[in-house]
Amino acid sequence: MSGGKRIAVKISQARQGWAGPVSIRKRSGDIAPFDSNKIREAIRKANVAVQNEALPPAALDELTRRATRAIPQGRVPSVEQVQDLVEETLIRAGYAKTAKAYILYRAEHAKIRQSQTDLMEIYKELTFSYAADADMKRENANIDADTAMGTMLKYGSEGAKYFVDNYILPRDVAAAHINGDIHIHDKDFYMLTATCCQIDLLQLFKDGFSTGHGYLREPESILSYSALGCIAIQANQNEMHGGQAVPNFDFSMAPGVAKTFRKEYFKALGQYLNARWGLEYGQGQEIAGQAKAQVGADIAMSSQVAYGEKMAPWLAARPELTGIDLPEAQKAHRRSVETALAETDRASYQAMEALVHNLNTMNSRAGAQVPFSSVNYGTDTSPEGRMVVRNLLLATEAGLGNGETPIFPVQIFKVKEGVNYNPQDPNYDLFQLAIRTSAKRLFPNFSFLDAPFNLQYYKPGDYNSEVAYMGCRTRVMGNVYDPNRESTCGRGNLSFTSINLPRLGIEAKGDLERFYQLLDEKIDLVIRQLLHRFKIQAAKKCRNYPFLMGQGVWIDSDTLDIDDSVGEVLKHGTLSVGFIGLAETLTALTGKHHGQSPASQQLGLEIIGHMRRRMDEEAKKTGLNFTLLATPAEGLSGRFVRIDKKIYGEIPGVTDRDYYTNSFHVPVYYDIRAFEKIRLEAPYHALTNAGHISYVELDGDVCKNPQAFEAVIRCMKEAGVGYGSVNHPVDRDPVCGYTGVIGDVCPRCGRREGEGVPLEKLRELRKKFPGMPKFYGLE
Amino acid sequence: MTDLKVVQKNGNTVGEGVKFERIRRITGYLVGTTDRFNNAKRAEERDRVKHGL
Repeated sequence: MSGGKRIAVKISQARQGWAGPVSIRKRSGDIAPFDSNKIREAIRKANVAVQNEALPPAALDELTRRATRAIPQGRVPSVEQVQDLVEETLIRAGYAKTAKAYILYRAEHAKIRQSQTDLMEIYKELTFSYAADADMKRENANIDADTAMGTMLKYGSEGAKYFVDNYILPRDVAAAHINGDIHIHDKDFYMLTATCCQIDLLQLFKDGFSTGHGYLREPESILSYSALGCIAIQANQNEMHGGQAVPNFDFSMAPGVAKTFRKEYFKALGQYLNARWGLEYGQGQEIAGQAKAQVGADIAMSSQVAYGEKMAPWLAARPELTGIDLPEAQKAHRRSVETALAETDRASYQAMEALVHNLNTMNSRAGAQVPFSSVNYGTDTSPEGRMVVRNLLLATEAGLGNGETPIFPVQIFKVKEGVNYNPQDPNYDLFQLAIRTSAKRLFPNFSFLDAPFNLQYYKPGDYNSEVAYMGCRTRVMGNVYDPNRESTCGRGNLSFTSINLPRLGIEAKGDLERFYQLLDEKIDLVIRQLLHRFKIQAAKKCRNYPFLMGQGVWIDSDTLDIDDSVGEVLKHGTLSVGFIGLAETLTALTGKHHGQSPASQQLGLEIIGHMRRRMDEEAKKTGLNFTLLATPAEGLSGRFVRIDKKIYGEIPGVTDRDYYTNSFHVPVYYDIRAFEKIRLEAPYHALTNAGHISYVELDGDVCKNPQAFEAVIRCMKEAGVGYGSVNHPVDRDPVCGYTGVIGDVCPRCGRREGEGVPLEKLRELRKKFPGMPKFYGLE
Repeated sequence: MTDLKVVQKNGNTVGEGVKFERIRRITGYLVGTTDRFNNAKRAEERDRVKHGL
């Protein structure tokens, strides 16, 4: 009970007449006996929560009596009606603060009740409806929520969110998320882990590793490197809720190519000697083995000429090789190299093909989805690294078993002047091949190491200094926690929370000062929440992450003992504030989005610049990596606008569609030239240090116009874009396997959607087009 | 992705009732065809215009 001001309450005399109802209708619709003690308790609790409004027991009883008698006779009242009357009674009696507390208490309970009901409704909807009908089941397009495992994952996920909402989050934070002011991403994993990681496979493979079910030796061939790469991605995906990237894919596969080349060389040499000198099987192999021991095992693609100069004289001195002279020995070496190169190339292609197939089919994460995998490459100029990239691109171009477009891994080609951007650069051919592949398969995307905010870290030949992007767009490079470790490998994002920017634009009602005030309040709230979540994450122990930390994948986790908490090493990760709908925000504030008006573009840059400044300040203050994110927003694109439409109605250009525009993008429906869109969006990349992307939509069959494609990529590079991609229609006819642009009629087999094709025709087409899908048992 | 029972045989023709697959980028990544998209992303994809060069 609180002391302070005493309010006079006249105690009424007990009298005849209406003493209140006998029954009350509960929210469920059931009728229950009316108990005035419940009113008394509720008022008492509300009063306890306030200062300076004393409520002695006699006054409490009187207020209860008054509220009860205020209930009209003749009808069974509802709980809501009774609560309304309690509020009125309190206010009329002068208990303003208690009334206010009562109102808030009622609202909070309403929210909790709302989410309780929702949880069971959600479980019902998950269980009984098909994904095609239930939007909620398509929240994450990578999960097939129609399967048992997919549904089980959703059960767990929705239950966890409910738990976090009601038992973990500070009340105002929970309320802010529920009512759509903010969105805490991956709230289901709040108590459990962090988002993502950039995995250095080279480091992991060295001396082998374990996934908890047995030790895997350091791989010895490109096929093993590729297989283990998939295993590493899957193992790490089991411990984090976000994507897994390999920042140095070509560098990390290159040793596998080198090892295979070595094996293939000595194999080829043995076979060549047998064939050329008519030896028995085993004899040539024996000589090759001796060569390996005596001349050396260290033959490599770039050193094979020098190696040959040692090998040839040695070979020429072998007595078993009757009549051999130096030119013959040199020829033996050359032929072996040729064979080894061809065989290694073939093995590399198979390894890359297997990788693409594996990452598109093997589920982890409760068996419900494939890992969200990304690979970055393009800067390894060694012959081995180049062989990896070339074959990955070719395998991607060829597609999956029936020629389908692979969804994973998300591939990112790192564009860099002096390495692959210009015709005289060593990897320019790979850049061209990447364009050709992307024109057909939508991957790779392109990242730009020359963007000033990326270039500042770059050291030639050091992959750890090259900015890598997650497929979704996450970027982790700068490091306020440890400025000596501004590097890529072993780091990732810890969590991110997005602000509903358009709502702030609406609420500001054209007043910019008000807008910034509201924005700063939201940023304060989100920073508090990110720190709250980080505290929970930091308390976890190494044993909670047997692979991520136990195998040293996360930076510096190799210094941890099994029961050490992970807080210190996690500080290398990022805590990100995100946003969506800048375009709608600008329209709400000024009437125009940044595609339409230079003044709006100016304002947009100021707003995002302000948010970035707040992040930098907070990072400096706390020593933690607070960063600004241009949120990817898959589910979120609809959520905020759905709520805002209910609250504010349909505001043209703001809430009149079913989605908010992604991050700082010019709206997808706005007619604008590609180069102009890139020019407008590029400066925002510099501000959003936690991640960003820009897209351009191209028309028609881009496969037929690689120059146009390249022009777009070059424009992005010159404009200072960090990460970009080109969208174009990729259609496929499952019947004849045609991949390209399909309007109403398939260009290959001529059928319309839903029509059948005569078997005869398919047989004819199969002669012209190899790799058409096969329909076993039908022909 | 592609239906498992993609193709029915009906007399001498194959492929009745089979739709074309429209693969679109959702947000930097792909997800197969647009029937996996949630409603908001579907609406956005429908609104997308092409950018001229």
